[in-house]
Amino acid sequence: MSRSRYQAALTVAALVCATSLHAQNAAAAPDLSDPEVAHVAVTANNIDIDMAKFAQTRTHNAAVKQFAQTMITDHTAVNQQAAALAQKLGVTPADNAVSQSLQSGAKQARASLERLHGAAFDRAYLDREVAYHQAVLDAIDKVLVPTTENAELRKLLTDVRPAIATHLEHAKQLRGQLGSPSRTSK
Amino acid sequence: MIVWLIVLLGLGRAPTTHTVEIRGMEFHPAVLTVAAGDTVVWVNRDIVPHTATATGRTKWDTGQLTQGRTGRYIAHARGTARYACTLHPTMHGTLRVR
Repeated sequence: MSRSRYQAALTVAALVCATSLHAQNAAAAPDLSDPEVAHVAVTANNIDIDMAKFAQTRTHNAAVKQFAQTMITDHTAVNQQAAALAQKLGVTPADNAVSQSLQSGAKQARASLERLHGAAFDRAYLDREVAYHQAVLDAIDKVLVPTTENAELRKLLTDVRPAIATHLEHAKQLRGQLGSPSRTSK
Repeated sequence: MIVWLIVLLGLGRAPTTHTVEIRGMEFHPAVLTVAAGDTVVWVNRDIVPHTATATGRTKWDTGQLTQGRTGRYIAHARGTARYACTLHPTMHGTLRVR
């Protein structure tokens, strides 16, 4: 079971980073424990918070700024809930290869966004938010919920799902309002 | 005869409190009908914060409600008011005051 949980986390990493991990890394990496899976979840939230904080400093669009604030508020609330659950369960989130891979993917995404300004930045940021939340949603549905053993952790994932789906719709709606397709987005 | 008149005028009716639960990023019920003078209470069951904010001419706003917190509004203005969550603009509700 721990093997499938590790594969689940790898799938999350692959989906969220929109890159695949090298097979050799996967073979060399240890099984992910519950504390490591918790770390992956917290990392995924922190990545979106950091991206939103950056977006707030770069965008001049009030709606995009408000969207970014909602991402900060909501993902912070989810992390607080995750921290409370971890404390209750006596689990300390532990850094691991998947979390590091997520962080490295986020660094790359940040680097490409840093080159953009104005409407091009807004479109690229929202394109990424659409892809990111869709990936997280897919991971929750297809991998995380079916493979998580701890009932309370599974409930947390289930409780968070509607918020992720709403973020996705919000990002799509805003992206649609920005009009012409982004030539700079991936 | 006088009692009848009071009933007809609605003067004998005590105001009621109605609860709208916010859960799963939705207002439950999404459409609520109340009598003028009734109180509507929104309670947030979600992990993330929400608001219930009127989007029409009559302005009211619960402010930001974190998990477990409640906001209330005494529905004096008759008519149909649409409202939304300002943090999540895809969330909508309707309050009918008769």
